[in-house]
Amino acid sequence: MTLIECKALTKKYGNYHALSNIDLQIESGHIIGLLGPNGSGKTTLLKLITGLLQPSSGTLTINGEPVGVNSKRSISYLPDHTYLDRNMRVRDAMDFFEDFYQDFDSMRAYDMLAQLAINPNHKLKTLSKGTQEKVQLILVMSRRANLYILDEPIAGVDPAARDFILNTILSNYDENASILISTHLISDIENILDEVIFIQDGNLRTHASVDDLRQKEHKSIDTIFREVFKC
Amino acid sequence: MLRKLLKHEWKSVSKVLLPVNLGIILITVIGCIVLNTNIFATKESFPIALFMLIFYLLSLMTFASITLIFVYVRFYKNLFTTEGYLMHTLPVAPIQLFHSKLIVGFSWSIFNCLLTLFSTAALGFSAIVRVAKDENIDNVYRFFLGDSISNNHNQTFSFAEMFGYPPATFVILLLLLLLTGCLVSILMGYLSILLGQLMEKFKLAASIGFYIVIYLIMQMVTSVAILLPNSNLLLSAMDNDSSIYFSNVFYKNLFPASIISQLILCIIFYLAAYFLIRRNVNLD
Repeated sequence: MTLIECKALTKKYGNYHALSNIDLQIESGHIIGLLGPNGSGKTTLLKLITGLLQPSSGTLTINGEPVGVNSKRSISYLPDHTYLDRNMRVRDAMDFFEDFYQDFDSMRAYDMLAQLAINPNHKLKTLSKGTQEKVQLILVMSRRANLYILDEPIAGVDPAARDFILNTILSNYDENASILISTHLISDIENILDEVIFIQDGNLRTHASVDDLRQKEHKSIDTIFREVFKC
Repeated sequence: MLRKLLKHEWKSVSKVLLPVNLGIILITVIGCIVLNTNIFATKESFPIALFMLIFYLLSLMTFASITLIFVYVRFYKNLFTTEGYLMHTLPVAPIQLFHSKLIVGFSWSIFNCLLTLFSTAALGFSAIVRVAKDENIDNVYRFFLGDSISNNHNQTFSFAEMFGYPPATFVILLLLLLLTGCLVSILMGYLSILLGQLMEKFKLAASIGFYIVIYLIMQMVTSVAILLPNSNLLLSAMDNDSSIYFSNVFYKNLFPASIISQLILCIIFYLAAYFLIRRNVNLD
């Protein structure tokens, strides 16, 4: 079943094309890596899918519907920065998600907090940046969403935290759901990906199955990436 | 969903605005206690009394400004900065986000206005009680109950003669003006922020610019709209020797005109903001 469909999707800022004529179909039940160097248009594409940006031209549908309240209900989004009110306590953030998302599993969220020894009564601003990111990831992955959109979930955290994040992603998502992960730290996530999308200068370079690409090129995705985007 | 938005909005805003507005109650209590002591009985204490009065008025203005500015900042920060990434991905319509901010912001703004009114009334009442100890208490009652008071040397007037309406009607009209005025202030700020979002760059600076421009246009238009239809009445009142007659005409005619003009502005600002918030967001 097609989850995301983009047709000639374009986003311009003045004369600058952040994305140009993207044609893309993403099916449900896959983990997809959205890979590209900095400034290639990854975050722009994710923001278009979540409705935080509007396309300049082209169409974008989620489950056959245009981006709107319904699509937002089925997407669980982790941006590349903290988006919670830092004056909130962790418990307030849990209550917030529980109120707005019917698919939020608070028991699972509190279990994960306990595993990481994060006190729910602490204010977010008293936590380290890495712990704040973990709290956000716990919130996002404690939903039973159809589509998880994770923008740079492992950037800026230590290797031990990366393991926790990847484990959290893998152990919490429903197999019928899809995960779209944007990153340039490919070697860390290569083993969990089903498909990759290479994006460069706002253009789609490749959209292929990880296994097919590896067999065809006889190289790891990380190596292919380094060759494709060689400076 | 609006109810849930209101719940969380109220909780977040109250953390800041509750202590700010409790400050008004605190200075009011202190003021009333001070007025009921004899520390201002001597002429030497006049500078201290003047300083305390100025401090009190500046405090009221500061509390009102903090309330309004915080309501604007909250709207901008929660919808158009990093927090907007959460708010705009919630499964709610953008207009519900707007309404939740508007209702909570307006409620706090009104609460602040009422507290300010209550504070000045409480201090005024304390001062009247203080004066009534020295003067004839009947004169004070008659001023509010509507009888003109006159004696051989000075002529004094009733509340209705001075302000054009009996005290109860005056208070109702004042409250109506406060309600519409608060709503206009909130909507003007929100509209400026929404207009600023239409710019490609320097959105915050553009919002402040729009606020100044809208404020100036609003002042000019309302001044003309209120003063022009009443100019003949006001001129005749100014020709009249009695300043009380002028005060009477001023309040009697300008109160309803101001309320109506504020209502019209509310409708215009709301419709403009409604149109802009329904346009899809573009968060940088």
